[in-house]
Amino acid sequence: MIRLSNVLESLLAVSVLAGSWVAAANGTVPDWPDKSLVKEQYESVPMPPGFQIVVTEQEGPVFADARGHTLYTWPVRQLRNGPVGERKGQPSCDKTVYTVNSGLMSPYPGGFELPDVATRPSCLDQWPPALAAEDAKPVGKWTIAQRKDGLKQWAYDGYPLYTSVLDHQPGTVNGGISGPTGEVGVRRPAAAPSMVPPQFTVTTRLTGRTLTTIDNNSVYASSKDQPDKSNCTAQCLTDWKPIVAPAYARPRGEFGVIERSPGIYQWTFRKQPLYTHNGEPFNKMYGSDVPGWYNVYTQHTPRPPAEFTVQESPTGLVLGDKNGKTVYVYMCADDALDQLACDVPDSPQVYRFTVCGGGDPKRCLERFPYVAAPKDAKTGNLLWSAMWIDPTIGKKAEPEQTGAMHVWAYRERPVYTHYRDQRPGDMTADQWGEFYGYRNGYKAFWLRSDFGVRTE
Amino acid sequence: MINEHRYSFSLIASALLLPALACAADSPAAASSKVNWVPPGGRIGYVLTNEVSWGIRETPDHKEECPNGFNIGPREQFAQLYPKDGKKRTLVETQLEREGQIWSPDTTPDEFPFYEATGKYALGIDLDGKDTPEDFESDDGRKGIDNQLFRVVGCVRNYRQEGELGIITTKWRAQKPFNRVTFELTGVDSLENDPDVTVSYYRTLDTLLAGPTGNYMPGGSQRVDTRWGKRFIGTAKGRIVNGVLETKPFDQLLMPEDGMGDPAINIFRTAQLRLKLTPEKAEGLLGGFIDVEQWYYAMNTSWATHHAAYGQASAASIYKALHRLADGFPDPRTHQNTAISGYLSIKLVQAYVVHSEAEKNIVAAKR
Repeated sequence: MIRLSNVLESLLAVSVLAGSWVAAANGTVPDWPDKSLVKEQYESVPMPPGFQIVVTEQEGPVFADARGHTLYTWPVRQLRNGPVGERKGQPSCDKTVYTVNSGLMSPYPGGFELPDVATRPSCLDQWPPALAAEDAKPVGKWTIAQRKDGLKQWAYDGYPLYTSVLDHQPGTVNGGISGPTGEVGVRRPAAAPSMVPPQFTVTTRLTGRTLTTIDNNSVYASSKDQPDKSNCTAQCLTDWKPIVAPAYARPRGEFGVIERSPGIYQWTFRKQPLYTHNGEPFNKMYGSDVPGWYNVYTQHTPRPPAEFTVQESPTGLVLGDKNGKTVYVYMCADDALDQLACDVPDSPQVYRFTVCGGGDPKRCLERFPYVAAPKDAKTGNLLWSAMWIDPTIGKKAEPEQTGAMHVWAYRERPVYTHYRDQRPGDMTADQWGEFYGYRNGYKAFWLRSDFGVRTE
Repeated sequence: MINEHRYSFSLIASALLLPALACAADSPAAASSKVNWVPPGGRIGYVLTNEVSWGIRETPDHKEECPNGFNIGPREQFAQLYPKDGKKRTLVETQLEREGQIWSPDTTPDEFPFYEATGKYALGIDLDGKDTPEDFESDDGRKGIDNQLFRVVGCVRNYRQEGELGIITTKWRAQKPFNRVTFELTGVDSLENDPDVTVSYYRTLDTLLAGPTGNYMPGGSQRVDTRWGKRFIGTAKGRIVNGVLETKPFDQLLMPEDGMGDPAINIFRTAQLRLKLTPEKAEGLLGGFIDVEQWYYAMNTSWATHHAAYGQASAASIYKALHRLADGFPDPRTHQNTAISGYLSIKLVQAYVVHSEAEKNIVAAKR
């Protein structure tokens, strides 16, 4: 078994260079870098009054309302049997309480009564719109959309903006993610622009936000380099390609420019010269296997609880529980036109019970047990938490309630292991459930996936 | 791409490439017409390019193996169970009920007719050394052929050449890097007849060498995946008889299966190979007793109901048939068989296997 922090050392080594890696006193479980020391910088963009940019723990800079609550968009998405979501300038999330499924997910037709229909909320109940005043004026990419109910709503880049009732404090992004979500009409956090030169972008992974070239090549730095000085020459250049900056490039934010040789300039980030790995396929992290070379993070996600581990699987690195069993997250959105979430404990649990135990909560406990948390569990971050769950109904319970379990949760969603995984790194329940686990099912908690869909 | 950290080019060159180049006259391409050709150093690799089928012997009009026709799939079963008759139904009693049967299947009698493939002949190997009434005969007259998986999927369109697996899986088998596996024969004194060769199995890392029309060509190289592929590595003894490789059983052979999205793995217990070899390619069967539960869930995590419906593959019905026809590895507690005899019909092309120092440690640790 490999302790979480040991394996992630290489992933986090850039922060070692920044001096933020701190070994634990007992020498076995070093802490992750202090997240407050390293946060991604963002571009200052014109915004209407009352809005702000919040740098969140996993998604990085996002637009937020005056309370600091994350804003989301719902971009239109073509599903198997039709589109869902919103087109630019056309808010459709309203007070309609849908009672039947839409039939957008082949092979099943629509028209069947949805679970818990008597208490089913509307889209607006779950996604309060960012309303604009009558006299509001567009600012930059912020525009004003006219709602059918007569109200005006802020939009960014044309897409109407909402908050999520799942976010209860500034900095949480519980309503949606920017990563892969399969064929589901999900909401996306409204990303604020990262402060990166046009040659770069930032990719959200479960381990943090990594620098990527605009061509989707992972960006690396070398421990053999010195601040603002590249030592990668000659043979080194057969495997590593300096990311060349144009002659007109100027230092900005955390990015700098060094002159490698007369007239040849190279980008740096936090004074580290930047490279790509020759021959590496897009979006992979192979280069971090080479001693002394590291993926470059703009920021790291807070560490999972200390008892979690990292395991090597046939696909890559996956989060494990303290026994090394692969950790899974449950994903669910219902098939109504408003595509409401069903993966949080307060939503209908019949979806999850269907795929984990044929509708039987007891069988679900045997097959996808919760990852138990100590009663005094604390994480110190917003991503990971512990909650009380009544396993007989799958919903939140009162502390110490009879039969309740105290379990670990990620983004306010409990995490699980799987009974068929026998040894560390087994991943037999990845994509378990409807539509490869995205619509109503389980996905392994990938920290690095060298094969398959990028989910990390 | 050669990663300096993981692979020593000098090792590669000295062990494989240079001998191969130096013996250009003995290269597979040059030797294709020779009899009793000896690969350089007694070593030849074959990388899997095509997964033709799950060991299905198809006849042109399917009347021989599927006289009753093909099975219906999820869409048709759903329509029969819940006809458009104006009756109001809930999602729980329809869609979720059906998905529940996929993810929590049982072995109760199927509510739909299930047509097993039948007939005298099948692809395969006599895996257990017995000739029993449920066994088949091969087209070349071998008796005692164990292939019960053929009975399960032989009349399911998805698994036939016309089905989605036949069309798409073959493409993905070649395209998706997770699926790349390579066999290497060592100690080969003749590719025509050799009573004692060693066959090693690896997950490998490189793209296939393809020609301008997409045909896969011999002569490429494949690096052994020592980073994530440790658990795939295996070895078995074998022999070559009249150009056909027959192996003794591998204890267990893990076959990666990356269909849609994230990958799965199938487990062949007591796996055996039967491959027609030439210096340039190999073709035949990988067979064994396939872990039923693993095969079933690998199928479902790789193929959503939507995609399975294209090929009329009803997971719940297949599960019942799998357990009904399972014929190996009984559970000591329940005495129920946990594995089913089955095959992958495969095609491979010659490739140079690139080894690394790290591999030695892995192999040593497995011993």
